[in-house]
Amino acid sequence: MRALGVAVGSVAILAYPLVFSTPFQQRLGALVLLYAIGASAWNIVGGYAGQVSIGHAVFFGCGAYGALVSYQHLGLAPIAGLPIGVAVAILIAAVIGVPTLRLSGHYFSMATIAVAELVRLVVANTEWLGGAQGLSGPPVPRTLLDLSFTSALPYYYLFVAVLSAIIGLTWWIERSRIGYYLRAIRDSERAARSLGAAAPRYKLYAFILSAALTAVAGALYAVMFGFVDPESGLGILISVKMVIMAALGGAGLLLGPLVGAVILVPLEELSNSLLGGAGAGLTFVAYGAIVMAIARFQPGGILQRVLRLRRKARPAPAVPVAQP
Amino acid sequence: MLIEARQITKAFGGFTAVDRASLAVEPGEILGLIGPNGAGKSTLFNCLTGDLRPTSGCVLFEGRDVTRLAPEERARLGLARTFQVPQTFEHMTVLENVMIGAFLRTSRTSEASARARAVIDTVGLGPLADTPAHSLGTPGRKRLEIARALATRPKALLLDEAMAGLTPAEIARAIALIRDIHASGITLVIVEHVMEVVLSLASRVVVLHQGREIARGTPAEVTRDPVVIEAYLGKRAARAANRDAPESTGRSP
Repeated sequence: MRALGVAVGSVAILAYPLVFSTPFQQRLGALVLLYAIGASAWNIVGGYAGQVSIGHAVFFGCGAYGALVSYQHLGLAPIAGLPIGVAVAILIAAVIGVPTLRLSGHYFSMATIAVAELVRLVVANTEWLGGAQGLSGPPVPRTLLDLSFTSALPYYYLFVAVLSAIIGLTWWIERSRIGYYLRAIRDSERAARSLGAAAPRYKLYAFILSAALTAVAGALYAVMFGFVDPESGLGILISVKMVIMAALGGAGLLLGPLVGAVILVPLEELSNSLLGGAGAGLTFVAYGAIVMAIARFQPGGILQRVLRLRRKARPAPAVPVAQP
Repeated sequence: MLIEARQITKAFGGFTAVDRASLAVEPGEILGLIGPNGAGKSTLFNCLTGDLRPTSGCVLFEGRDVTRLAPEERARLGLARTFQVPQTFEHMTVLENVMIGAFLRTSRTSEASARARAVIDTVGLGPLADTPAHSLGTPGRKRLEIARALATRPKALLLDEAMAGLTPAEIARAIALIRDIHASGITLVIVEHVMEVVLSLASRVVVLHQGREIARGTPAEVTRDPVVIEAYLGKRAARAANRDAPESTGRSP
């Protein structure tokens, strides 16, 4: 049953751009995957470990700027900047994480917002990083390594590969000690520590891994769009989208972020094309409404609700759910 | 000594919750820590486990100074605890909850799972292994916390009000479980509000009142101590106890 679901899902994802083959549809598919990559990366620290970062845009920006800096200043292919972006993201995650992850509560969330906004302002005023105008990629591809294509199809399959790798990694984490520890820390940090889980250390591991993978998403974004500015690379809306997609689909669930992206990205693209420039403001309003709806009705996200319904449909266990 | 607390003081701002309290736990014994509400029992307890760092004084475990060690480091040395208000991992099953404890001694999931299952069977939660922890009631949660702590293979287990919220029948079952754990060679420290529990389990008792130790000894000794009676029931009750005693002079006619 489970294997069948995986097989059907994989075929659907691989066949989508061939069935829905207009440029708009292919681009939409690639965007869904790109956001699913970002939200899956966020999910590791925000979902599994329950440490809600609202500043992941800073790591996304590291990847995006890393890619285009390597082109602008080093003359390399943008993708060659990926390790730079990842390294800077890891550094920033450590700087934020070491002091704030020792504390519980909202200190961490607040610190992530503050750092992300700070970095956005600094970048917007740094000439070397393009200032408010931003940075561009190669206008015409020099080699295949520039990964500059007019069709979205190659990006689509590149993103499928990256997303599969991230989901595979998350799947492995879920089944290993660190995954169990992260979920325990999310439920009760105090109890987890009393049982020997070094909570500050494990939260930091999750945060750093999540930051590094978010930087990968940012680099892929820059490679596909060939452009980044402080708003599109470091804006708070990017952070908020990652949180909302993961939360809507199901935070702390393997495929939650993908489900969230499949629902939200088409909605956003649709509203943008229908409303034009005015759509940007409306997007904020819509996201605010979604946050409230999740908080009110579906704290576990859509996927959690589906899983619960399926569990209910199964015959009840022989043992009564009573107190021993 | 397995656990030793020397001159522990813990102040929160201007309020001194524990005032120069000392405690020594010998290997293999059951030590009861009692006192009325607000006596500082839980604060002292949390200084032993590392959840709180004392303002002054030190904590030793097997002769080693652990005052500055984090709770997880003390767990590794063999100190386990339960919580007064159960801190179960709500989104996990009973088995997964206990696996968190078992993971302290193995990094392999299959091994942690096997060890956790064995512990769950010994505490009598076997049939509930795969139910979500949030579906358990108070007695189940208390038992689950004990199972989780045992899965860390502790030398000492500290129970913080393990009987709170249980009915008399459930208390009887919990006492039997604690006796089994003690028989398996684990040293126990029990913080308890319910006097009868401490009296039936503990070999020695330390009584705290307003952050200070007011008595120590066998359960029989401390329950006869007028200072203890006064702390628990107030001055009038202490006088009444004296009055009712045969050697008392009683009220003048």
